[in-house]
Amino acid sequence: MKRLSDTVTTDAMRQFDREFADPEHRFKFVGSGALGGKAQGLAFIQNTLSSAFPSDRFPQIEVSIPSLAVLRTDVFDAFIERNKLLEVAMSDASDSFIAYRFQQAELPAEILGDLRAIVERVRTPLAVRSSSVLEDALYEPFAGVYATKMIPNNQHSADERFRKLAEAIKFVYASTYFKTAKEYVDATRNTIEEEKMGVIIQEVVGGRFNDRFYPPISGVARSFSYYRSGRSRPEEGMASLALGLGKTIVNGEPCWTYSLAHPRVPPPAASPAELVEQTQSTFWAVNMGKPPAYDPIAETEYLVNASLTEAEQDGTLRYAASTYDAHSDRISLGLGTQGPRVLTFDPLLVINEVPVNDLIKFLLALCEQATGSPVEIEFAMTFDPHRLGFLQVRPMVVATEYVQISPGEMQGGRVLVASETVQGNGVYDSIRDIVFVKPDAFQAKHSVRIAEELESVNRNIVTEGNTFVLIGFGRWGSQDPWLGVPVRWGQIAGARVIVEATLPAMVVELSQGSHFFHNLMSFRVSYFSVPHTGEFQIDWPWLDRQEIRQETQFIKHVRARKPLIVKVDGRTGRGVILTAERRKEEHCE
Amino acid sequence: MAMKSYNPYEIAQAQFDRIADLLKLDQAARDLLRVPTREYHFTIPVHMDDGSVQVFQGFRVQHNDARGPGKGGIRFHPLETIDTVRALAMWMTWKCAVVDVPLGGSKGGVVCDPHNLSARETEQLCRGWVRQISRDVGPHLDVPAPDIMTNPQNMLWMLDEYEAIHGGKYPGFITGKPLSVGGSQGRKEATGYGVVFTIREALKELNREPRNTTASIQGFGNVAQHAIQLYERIGGTVVCVSSWNQADQTAYSFRKASGIRYEELLAATDAFGGIDVAKARDLGYEILPGDAWLEQDVEILIPAALENQITQENAARIHPRAIVLAEGANGPTSPEADTILSERNIFILPDFLANAGGVTCSYFEQVQSNMNYYWDKDEVLGKLDTKMTAAFHAVSDLARNQKLPMRDAAYVISVSRVAQACRDRGWV
Repeated sequence: MKRLSDTVTTDAMRQFDREFADPEHRFKFVGSGALGGKAQGLAFIQNTLSSAFPSDRFPQIEVSIPSLAVLRTDVFDAFIERNKLLEVAMSDASDSFIAYRFQQAELPAEILGDLRAIVERVRTPLAVRSSSVLEDALYEPFAGVYATKMIPNNQHSADERFRKLAEAIKFVYASTYFKTAKEYVDATRNTIEEEKMGVIIQEVVGGRFNDRFYPPISGVARSFSYYRSGRSRPEEGMASLALGLGKTIVNGEPCWTYSLAHPRVPPPAASPAELVEQTQSTFWAVNMGKPPAYDPIAETEYLVNASLTEAEQDGTLRYAASTYDAHSDRISLGLGTQGPRVLTFDPLLVINEVPVNDLIKFLLALCEQATGSPVEIEFAMTFDPHRLGFLQVRPMVVATEYVQISPGEMQGGRVLVASETVQGNGVYDSIRDIVFVKPDAFQAKHSVRIAEELESVNRNIVTEGNTFVLIGFGRWGSQDPWLGVPVRWGQIAGARVIVEATLPAMVVELSQGSHFFHNLMSFRVSYFSVPHTGEFQIDWPWLDRQEIRQETQFIKHVRARKPLIVKVDGRTGRGVILTAERRKEEHCE
Repeated sequence: MAMKSYNPYEIAQAQFDRIADLLKLDQAARDLLRVPTREYHFTIPVHMDDGSVQVFQGFRVQHNDARGPGKGGIRFHPLETIDTVRALAMWMTWKCAVVDVPLGGSKGGVVCDPHNLSARETEQLCRGWVRQISRDVGPHLDVPAPDIMTNPQNMLWMLDEYEAIHGGKYPGFITGKPLSVGGSQGRKEATGYGVVFTIREALKELNREPRNTTASIQGFGNVAQHAIQLYERIGGTVVCVSSWNQADQTAYSFRKASGIRYEELLAATDAFGGIDVAKARDLGYEILPGDAWLEQDVEILIPAALENQITQENAARIHPRAIVLAEGANGPTSPEADTILSERNIFILPDFLANAGGVTCSYFEQVQSNMNYYWDKDEVLGKLDTKMTAAFHAVSDLARNQKLPMRDAAYVISVSRVAQACRDRGWV
């Protein structure tokens, strides 16, 4: 696998000359340090598009990166050093205190004119994104670890727009030292001291619709995926599409995930009615209307979560929606009839009105060829005229070892957990720690507190240099605490195997890891789905007999005497966690 | 033959006449703009600490206020003359116009040596200056500021006296106030940073990277210090600075080939920018004659001390490597030297463009004071950068398009703007 930075030539970028929206030169930079991972990704895309993308292949769609300016890492260094922020950054201070102190600090004087020039020339929303050096060095996804802040940048006064941009940059810098980020970096066996942050200031690809600004479609696609459904094969790749900002997909909220080889095949659902329930019902947009309450240290300060009704008023469902007819329990294509709208993206995937799927496959292949490895891409689209804003590319770490699990192994006396719905591939044989949500104490109403308790347990295990198996109920990482434990990845980053189960009191459609999709892939984390009504059960009595390392109101951390053996066959989706001892032998002790 | 003494006012008028010819300015506009609109000469008696009374001579010159209230510093200097003040007032008019802030040009001064005054005596002098002129200055008339050997404390005494006389709060009367009493963030950095913003843009035009350049600077006062700070931050290396030594009554240059260290020199510097020779020697600096800064093997020269420092006599000593002269001080280059430097193709950043950061930030301070609403430093310096950069490009574009020297191009822009304001008002 090549590093993106190894494939990027300087032709892709030029020094910021205070012209931001320059279609000829979309990638510009300020400073002289490193670009960081995301910016390297964008430079790679710019390079690839200009050198290898045939403009006549998809003549009806403009493919380009968004206009952007990267503040390289020397700007970050100067900001931290001149304001003497390292001490508070490395302290145990709360995220909000660190963010507050960073807001009080001054940006380096030598970049202020450049920032001012951006807001004086641009009146549409800007995304201020982190671009971490470790992310580039490790090929590891830091998506969701550091902050991204969207600002509407539509205030009448340039002074106001400047202030908001400066606040957003300081917030992204501060997020380098938030608790989740520190834990995440620890989990990569690096130190936060090594981390440096570039910042990307980029146009938000999209359009203004009433008081909202968003792309009618955003997406994430992977050229290889052990996460799959139906008849797709891992190497055929998967894509997820959503209405509005890509936050919906990154957050793991409902979106439309399909196989790139079978774009007409919907995700598995028991009925059209169930499919309606599973699909996206709200979307994220930049709030261009009434200013929200002032809160510079909130990532979502300028975001708004709107409904499909509002999207229909905006006129943005044209390429995304179908309509559900409750009478006949059918989904009919388009918006021609009355009824609930369902985001199936049929106009694109079934009718192929705009060859989006072909374009995605083409771009994935192009990037795979250039990097020599499977890739994940992010994009956003606008229509009439059609444009695909190519937002990100990341090489993927794909486990390729061949694992075989016999039916006997799934049933034997050493089985702690088994499932035929497992994401991932490979064998682990060194994990002894198991963290589980106590089934008798679990109630959905406590899921936020469970997430908090997990954060501290995770920190203790990571500090000891260990990894663990995590077992709990509902959809891990769900934004809705009633559907599962709303953890962020950093709160469970030490987990190498995750099990999601149901209980009679917690019956939900399991996520199959969709909330942490790319994190799981890159860290080679296996994800087991175990419904309590299924063939395989979790061996709770065995867990209760293990040595307790830490116990809180809802969580128990135990350590097995000998390492567990975790086997996952990515080709069949079958997986098993085995204990070292046979259950019968343990009963004799 | 007796050598003709340096008279900045004559130089300022000669410069103006030349530009007026270039612009084919009508006679009335010439008559109006080549002399000050108003001049005030007054005396300031001060009760000295030893019980005696000393009478100081003070001035305020308002050159032109067609574009807005007058703006200009107050200088405390033993060699102050009315002609110097007149010239500087005229240059202020051009300076405000070139950066396109809505202010006119003024300047004031007192003939005195602050080194020899106690704090109490200085306060009396500041208050006395305001008492003499308070009817003719103010937030909407003429707004003073610090200049050579005056400081924020002096401005606060002056403000306090003005407010006592007028019976109200008028923070917009004066700029350069302490931060705690209505000063602006970024004010102390503004002039020096402004010099470097224009150097940065000049280097872009010359296709040179700041990190591949070195500089030598005359002076180590506020302007020079902040110019050094920002120049180093954008990658440049300063190898020599000069400063006045009060004890020896002469200037010295301090050189370190590997690059001076701003912080360590600052620690060896007094309040007036004088560097302690012994300390500097201990820190490994070569101590050279005061004018040695001019002949250093560097790309960039920044005179940031007094006027008339680069003359016909010493211009030839400038090293062939020099490519940019950024005038941090007012009037540091004589017209004869100007011609020599232009012939050598040295990119000149004329004083009233290069050092306009100070008055631009003063304008920002005045706006903030009048609103009684203050901005963050980020905001002030961001505005300063864009204002200075825009001014540089306006001048540079005109210079390129009309094949004018940078100084002439800057004058053409300024004089046109001011003359137009006078015409629009129906004055001429």
